[in-house]
Amino acid sequence: MIALHGVEKSFRDGDREHPVLRGVDLRVAAGELVAIVGQSGSGKSTLLHVAGGLDRDYRGAVEIAGTPLAGLSARELARLRNATIGFVFQSFNLLPGLSALENVMLPGMLRDDTGEPPGAVRTRAADALVKVGLAARASAPPARLSGGERQRVAIARALFARPRVLLADEPTGNLDAATGDEIIRMFVELAASGLSVLVVTHEERVSRAASRVLMLRDGRLAESDAATAAGERGAGRLA
Amino acid sequence: MSARGLLWIARARIRADRRGALLDAAAACAGAAALVFFLALGMGVGNAARRMFPSDARLVEVVPSSVSLGGLLGGDALDDRALRRLEALPGVEAAWPRVILQVPIAAPEAPPGMASSWPPGMTLQIPVVGIAPAMVRADLEDGHAFEDPPPGKPIPVVLSRRLVEVYDKTIAPSWNLPRLPPGLTLLGLQMPVEIGRSIVPGKQEQKVYASKVRLAAFSERVPMYMMAIPLETARRLHAEYGKDGRFSQVTLLARRPDDVPAIAAAVRQMGFNVDEGERAAAERIGAIIAVTTGALAFLAVVMCVLAALAIARSLSASVRGRSKEIAVLQALGATPSDVHRVVLLEGAMIGLAGGVLGTLVAFGLSFAADRAALGLLPDFPFRPETFFAFPAWLPVLGVIVPAVAAVLGALAPAAAAARVEPARTLT
Repeated sequence: MIALHGVEKSFRDGDREHPVLRGVDLRVAAGELVAIVGQSGSGKSTLLHVAGGLDRDYRGAVEIAGTPLAGLSARELARLRNATIGFVFQSFNLLPGLSALENVMLPGMLRDDTGEPPGAVRTRAADALVKVGLAARASAPPARLSGGERQRVAIARALFARPRVLLADEPTGNLDAATGDEIIRMFVELAASGLSVLVVTHEERVSRAASRVLMLRDGRLAESDAATAAGERGAGRLA
Repeated sequence: MSARGLLWIARARIRADRRGALLDAAAACAGAAALVFFLALGMGVGNAARRMFPSDARLVEVVPSSVSLGGLLGGDALDDRALRRLEALPGVEAAWPRVILQVPIAAPEAPPGMASSWPPGMTLQIPVVGIAPAMVRADLEDGHAFEDPPPGKPIPVVLSRRLVEVYDKTIAPSWNLPRLPPGLTLLGLQMPVEIGRSIVPGKQEQKVYASKVRLAAFSERVPMYMMAIPLETARRLHAEYGKDGRFSQVTLLARRPDDVPAIAAAVRQMGFNVDEGERAAAERIGAIIAVTTGALAFLAVVMCVLAALAIARSLSASVRGRSKEIAVLQALGATPSDVHRVVLLEGAMIGLAGGVLGTLVAFGLSFAADRAALGLLPDFPFRPETFFAFPAWLPVLGVIVPAVAAVLGALAPAAAAARVEPARTLT
């Protein structure tokens, strides 16, 4: 479960403060896929970073899987990100020096409390690649993978630690329509399996697949039906 | 993050930027190679110099003053009374008198079985010094005594260890004589001599008689071109031929090297001189070698510092170029401290690899230099088998110094990496 209560966040530009989030309340239950839409620069990614504990400079309260982020040390927060939260990014953000398999292994190698041997980490990573249909591409470096393959590797990496929360920032933004649909189907299935999935997107097809669509405008979240959201997104793109 | 994870990620990072890592490791390798090579060369040459000019830091050589002020200072004659006063000086553990034998001794023929090493018709005039047996006691092997012999028995003698080397490398080739076979034990060798005989006109004594000397030991404490006999034998011969019985020199053994300056000062106050000829030469040579080695080692350390700067520059550029990767690592569960340690570990691994490689290169270069030197240089006395010395700590130093330099070079980039803000970078 993801819960944000009265989250406020602003950026400072010299002496001026630009509020981005103005008292955002959000709750994403387990098994729910929530899409957040809004214009470019409306603060969608900022919201995602606050929810994922990547940005700690905010006011308000955030809970992930029942754990309040306020008061956690850097190490505790890192452990929470490692074990409970999965991230998927628009530009995949795979490490170029690692193979597809090694990229998936990363969360396992970053953990310091499991004592899981590298062999076991490797096996689990290989299983994760099988689940996203990329077993045959395990040894390929990211540069030799297509966009869709890279995003599937990124999803396998996000799911490696069996997280309870999945945060995705424009996950289909760099993919063609068919591959994007494939990724959206995966997200729907993941939500159905019990994950809390929060997706920030411009894409109408993502919001169509979501259980709920929320619009971020003027720093506030509002429930939005798909048509309204689509209209707003269109306005956003035109702008 | 566990050490295993840190190592895994650092290794992966290095693999991703092989070219940069190779260049940095090459810089560290050059520094390590120079450091190990120059230090090994300095120590090797130092060892050779010590063989050539052995010097004991605890010895003080006392000789009579060239200007006699004896009456005023109570010094000038090195006799038994002076010996007792010297023995009583603070810091002196032992005092060993010696006397230059004024009775000539000559060898008219070769020792038995060594005629081939003796030019036909040669009579060898032997400079002889009488020394206190305690001075060479440590050099005596079991079964070889060094004391005044009973009448009719051979006189035990001690020769300079360096004399054998000089014979083999200089005397034998120039006189076209065979060299001493390796491993030949000369101890116990007897040689007929004539006491009182001199090949110098006017120096021969009235009384000349045949005797024998027997080699009892080799020692660094015997002057190179002299034959040492027991002090009592020398004094007996002096008494027999009516010569002056005073000592020509007294060697003082200090308890600690630190006591030497005070002892030397006290000796001078007593009106005697301190002969620093050999010691000064050894110290000068030692100082020249130490300064040269130090300068070359400093140069090598500068190279390591330059390698560290190269690594710092390269890692800084690398950190700037992969800030997104660093942000991703943090998103996946790395703390800023983990990121800091990963970059430091990258530096350490590059430095270690360069250090190991550089140390191996230094070994190879020293081997090649030895081969070249031994092939090019003529065979001279004390020519070492190797010009390099590799004590166990040197390879360790060769690996650790570049690794530490690399870690120091990685400090700033690591701090920069730890400051990467994932929220800002991933936007």
